[in-house]
This record gives sequence, C-alpha cells and structure tokens, in this order.
Amino acid sequence: MNISHTREGEKLTICLDGRLDTVTAPELETFLLENLEGVTSLVFDLKGMEYTSSAGLRIFLKAQKLMTSRGEMVIENVQEDVMEVFEITGFTDFLTIR
Amino acid sequence: MNKLKKLFSSLSFRIISYIFILLLVCSLIVSTIGLISFTNAFKREYSTTSYHMASTACTLVNADNIDKYLNEGIDDEYLKAKGYLDTYCLKMNVSLVYVIKVDQSDYGSFLSVFNSVNNSVENTNYSPWELGYKRNTTNEEYREKYIALYSGEVEYETVYRTKKLNGLTPHLTILVPMKTSTGEVTALMCIQRPISELKSARRPYLINLIISIILLLALTTFITITYLKRQFVRPMRKVSDEATRFAKESSQGEKLGEISRIQEISNLAKSVDKMEEDMLTYMNNLTSITKEKERIGAELSIASTIQENSIPHQFPAFPNRKDFDIYASMTPAKVVGGDFYNFFLVDSDHLAVVIADVSGKGIPAALFMMVTNILISDRTRMGGTPGEILTFVNQGICEHNEADMFVTVWLGIVQLSTGKIVASNAGHDDPAIYRDGGSFELFKTKHGLVIGATPKAKYADYEIDLHPGDKLFLYTDGVTEATNTDQVLYGMDRMVDALNNCKASSPKEVLDFIHADVNKFVGEAPQFDDLTMVCFELNKKEENKLVLKAKNENLYQVMEFIDEFLEKHDCSMKAQTQIDLSIEEIFVNIANYAYGDGEGDCEIKLGFNDGIVTLQFIDSGMPFDPLAKADPDNTLSAEDRQIGGLGIFLVKKNMDEVSYQYLDNKNILTLTKKIN
Repeated sequence: MNISHTREGEKLTICLDGRLDTVTAPELETFLLENLEGVTSLVFDLKGMEYTSSAGLRIFLKAQKLMTSRGEMVIENVQEDVMEVFEITGFTDFLTIR
Repeated sequence: MNKLKKLFSSLSFRIISYIFILLLVCSLIVSTIGLISFTNAFKREYSTTSYHMASTACTLVNADNIDKYLNEGIDDEYLKAKGYLDTYCLKMNVSLVYVIKVDQSDYGSFLSVFNSVNNSVENTNYSPWELGYKRNTTNEEYREKYIALYSGEVEYETVYRTKKLNGLTPHLTILVPMKTSTGEVTALMCIQRPISELKSARRPYLINLIISIILLLALTTFITITYLKRQFVRPMRKVSDEATRFAKESSQGEKLGEISRIQEISNLAKSVDKMEEDMLTYMNNLTSITKEKERIGAELSIASTIQENSIPHQFPAFPNRKDFDIYASMTPAKVVGGDFYNFFLVDSDHLAVVIADVSGKGIPAALFMMVTNILISDRTRMGGTPGEILTFVNQGICEHNEADMFVTVWLGIVQLSTGKIVASNAGHDDPAIYRDGGSFELFKTKHGLVIGATPKAKYADYEIDLHPGDKLFLYTDGVTEATNTDQVLYGMDRMVDALNNCKASSPKEVLDFIHADVNKFVGEAPQFDDLTMVCFELNKKEENKLVLKAKNENLYQVMEFIDEFLEKHDCSMKAQTQIDLSIEEIFVNIANYAYGDGEGDCEIKLGFNDGIVTLQFIDSGMPFDPLAKADPDNTLSAEDRQIGGLGIFLVKKNMDEVSYQYLDNKNILTLTKKIN
C-alpha cells in the first residue's frame, strides 16, 4: 500500500493506494500517530484503495474517535468493494463519506 | 634336502634297500652257522689228534709203576720215563705233559706223578710240579671229567679254554686214562696244547666268507637294480610322469602303450591312457555344455527383459493423471514367468486392466503369455466389452493351441469419470475391492472357463462400481498359494487380512506391504510360483491443501494460494474480493490467538464442486469457536463501537456458509461460497 499526503494548514489529506489489510494497516497507524498533530480536518482519499479488512476498519474507527473531538474526518472516493465492507459493518452510520 | 627326501621316498630306492637288508641278514645268518660248524669241526679234529698224541705219550710211561713212584720216590726208571716225557713235550711242541693220580675217594684232589713243561710254546712261565705234589681239583668241570675217565666209560676227555683266561692263551687239555696191565685206571695222562692254530685257521675262512658275502651282495643288488629299473621302476616312472604331466597340462600327450611285460604295470599304463582320453573328451563336452549354458543364460536374460518391457513397468505409469493411481508388480519364480499384468488407456476416460496366469512356468509359459497379452491388448483397443474381448481371444488361442496350455484372465475396463468397471473373469481369482472408509473384501462372481480350454467358451460381463477413494486389488495364485517351509498356504484369508492392515495406503504401498507380508510368511522356503499383483485406486476429487506457520507475514502466501485456485475455477471478481477478506480475517485470527504466545501451523484445504468453493482452516491451537460470539452492534456510535468481532462478522456476511468443528484436537472452520 502506498500512503501519500498533502497538508494545508490544519487540513490533512491522505491518499491511500492499494490494499489496507493486516500487513499494511500498522504502517498507516504509525503515519497517523506522527502526522495528526494540530490537524482539525482529516480527509482520506480512497480513490486508489481497492481492499480493506477489519484491520483497516480498526484504523478508520480509531481515527474517527480521535477526530470527533478535534474537528472533522471525511472519507472520499470510496470504491464499491470497500463501500460494501463499510456498509456491512455499519461504519457508514458514523463515517462521513462523500 | 628335498632331493634327498625324494630319493629316499622313491620306489626303487626303497625296494633296493629292503632287498639289501634282507640279503645282509641272510648272509650273516649263513656265515655264523658256517663259522660255528667250522669251529666245531676244527675242534673235533684237534682233539682227535691230541688224543693220539696223549695215547703215544702213555706208552712212554709204565702205568704199573705209578704207585711205586709215589710210594718209593724217584728212581732210575722214573728219571728215564721223565726224560722221555720232557723230550716228547719239547718235540711235540706242547705246553705241558703231565701225569696225575686223582684221589678216587672224592676226586677233589690229585697227586702229581710226572710234569714236563715247555714254556716257550705259549710264552708261559710254569714251573714243573714235584713228584707227589698234591693239588686240589681245579674246578667242577675237571672233577666230572676225572670221574668219567676213572670209570673207564670214555677213552679221553677234552677241556677247552678258547677265551683268554688268567693271561693264558687259548688252549686245550686232553686227558687220557692210563691203565695198568690188569686194565685198571691208575692215573691220567694230560697234555696241554695251544689252539692258536684254530684262530689262524679261522681268520682266512672268515675273510673269504666276508669277501664272498660282499661280492654276493653287490652282485645281487646290481642285478636287482637293473631288473627293477628295466622292468618296474622305469615303466612306473613313465606312468607317474605322464599322470603328473596330464594333471598339470590337461592336454593330449604321447600314449604310454605297451611299456611293460608285467601285467599289473601294463594294465595301469593302459588305464592311464584310457583315463586321459576319457577325461579330455569329458572336458571338451563340459566346455561346450558350459558355453551352451552361458548362451541360454544370456538369451534368457534378454527374454526376461523383452517380457518385462512388454508390460508397463515404469511407475507412476500416468504421471499426468490425478484422477486415478495404479501400481503393479511381477516377481517371476524363474527368470521368465507365465504370469502377467497389463493396463493401458483405451481412451482418455477408459483404462483397461488385465491380470493373467498361464499354466506352467519358464519359457513355454512366457511365450504363451506374450501371445495372450498381445491378443488381449490389441483386441481391447478395437473396442467391445471384456466378455466379448475374452470370447474372441479364447477362440484365437484355441485355434493354435497344440501345446494344450491355458491361461486364467481377469479383464476389466474402468470408466475413470464414473468409476464403473465392466469386467469379465476367465477362471481367475476374484479381485478384492476396498470401499473408502470401509475395508477390503473379495468381490465374488461366477467365473468363465479358462482361456484355451475350448473355442466354444463364452464369457459374461459384470460390473463393479468404484467410488472416489475405492481400490481394486488383483493378484495371481502365486500370492494365495505361496507356501512356507511347513507346507502351509498363505491363503485368501491371510491376504485379505494383510490388505486391511494397509487399506489406507497408496497402491504402491499396498503392493509393497503384501509382498513383504508374503515374504515374511514364506520365510526360507523357495518361491514356487510367479507373484503378480495389481492395485488400482480411484482418487478422490481434487483437493488443494496448504500448510504453513500461522503468522501474519504469511498472509499473502495464503491469499496467493487461494486466489490461484479461485481463478482456475473462474471465480468472479466480486466473490474473490469477498473470499480474500474472509480468509484474511480468519487466518489473522488464527495467527494472533490460536497458539497464544507460541507458534503453530495452519492448514488450509480447498475444494470445488459444482460452482461452490469450500475452504477449510485447520489449526491445533486452543479450542475456540469464533461463531459462538454474538455479532457486534452496528447501530452504536463511533465512540461506543468496539473493534473486536468485526472480522468474523465480515466473514459471516461475505460467505454463504460458515461452520465450526473441534475434531481430533483441531479447530476446523469450514467456509463455502458459490463463486460463479
């Protein structure tokens, strides 16, 4: 999985490419721990992310819990298969997906 | 040293030395006897002449005056007589001439009357006795002789002193009685003579004798040697040399022929000639027989190879076919055998399997086997049921069966896709069938006649249904009739029992096991019949399996393995993503929790049937049923949501069916999903 990001002031946009699974999820978790300082608006661009498992869901849940107190978290360009996982697990109920 | 030993042990030396010793002993005996006779004759002659001498001396003394001399002493008449005797002693060259009067009361002493000494004769120093000198009788010998002489029974007595005694040379003493005019013995006239003449007379005799003996011995030895050499030793040596040469060279030599007039030697020579001739002929025969044997051996070995090559003998026979497995083995009792098996694909879905046992063994059986095998396989490839094929083959064989041989055949054609076997049995033993999960049992049917018995024989078909995992075991009576040293047959029951002891094994393992079991039973007893077996197994449907360490880093390996399988079965993209998600959740779950802090394996089995894929995850970790946990509450807000339980929930949602089993200390989670 490839992680790229752009920072505009307090807004951080993270682009995820590839598979977010058990093997790659810890990488994203570390990235978030290091880069969320002072961020009030977090955007995940999932245009290139084709797959996620519960390991990915765990990161999104964790990030959501963090961002709820700090500002907002948005997930964009969710692919169909990933969307289905979000739907099945009820994540669509609390994630802001655009 | 060896030469000397050889000489001493040679026949001629021994014979000659025996003869030499024999002759020497004879000569010694003869010469001893001769010497004794000579001595006795000489003594006799000597004492006779001595007697005459003594008798003559007696005339020189008047016997009537003896007592007068003793009583009255020396007078003129006595001196006259003594003078005669002294002269006589000197002239006759005798040592002593004396007259004594023995005391007749006990003959223990005597009185000297006359005594003339001639010391020059024997170089003695006798001093003459005085008249009336009294002396004791010298010894018992003299006493007895005195008695005899006084009794008047004998004319004279002789005393020999042949050996030197007290420094005296050998001599004899002759004693003659002196009688008065009235015929009464009054005194004894004694003359002592040396007998050195005896010695001097004996010496030339002895020398002559010894020379004669030596000459005789030399002559006899020479004659014997010459005779023996010519008549005995030389021909014997010839025979011996020839025998030695033949033993060394084993080649034709010169004939001995008539080498001796002695019949035994002549016979021996003839026998040696005959023996050599016979031996050479025999050796020639043996050489050609050995060559012939080697040639037959080499041909047999080639025949054995041809026979082996005429049937499938490389295993696995169909390495590209996963739907069945077949293994066969043939162990001929002789170099070539009469048993055979064969199997071949008639088409991609039909496998023909043959096992057969030709009557008899060795080359005839092997030839008959080749013919039968070719007929069956050719006819099978032309199509038809086994019954039709065997009927045809039987007719073909009966047409040209002058040798009246026959063969038992079991022929089956397996439809590989369904496991249905159509078979026909021409007098062969019933096959044993293994049902997956069950055991081996004989599949008994009615048999047809053996092939080659009558052209009218008809062969019926019958069917056996095999299911995946089932096995078919074929054998010849070499297995069931294998006999141990106690003449006990291996038998059908032992075979079925042995089969059931290895029923879960592959065909190769089954045959190896039975072979080992038969060998163990037979022990030291020789293999009597060919031992042939075939085992066919209809494989279970394809099953993919992966075993690896349950660790997160192996996740992609698991996914790759499963994706490859899914692609092969035309899985839709969507289903593949869903399955991927499910296997990740389950594998990661096992990797993180099943073995606690330890490590362990995870086994993944894949199956596909009728568009539905089956995935099994098996681990030996602590018992854990992931399905027992309640589904997470999806209606909660982000703050209240727990991350646990989402994975297995995703699996349940993505798969058609999920089930859990705990079996044999293993967690088995089975997922199924329709993939197209």
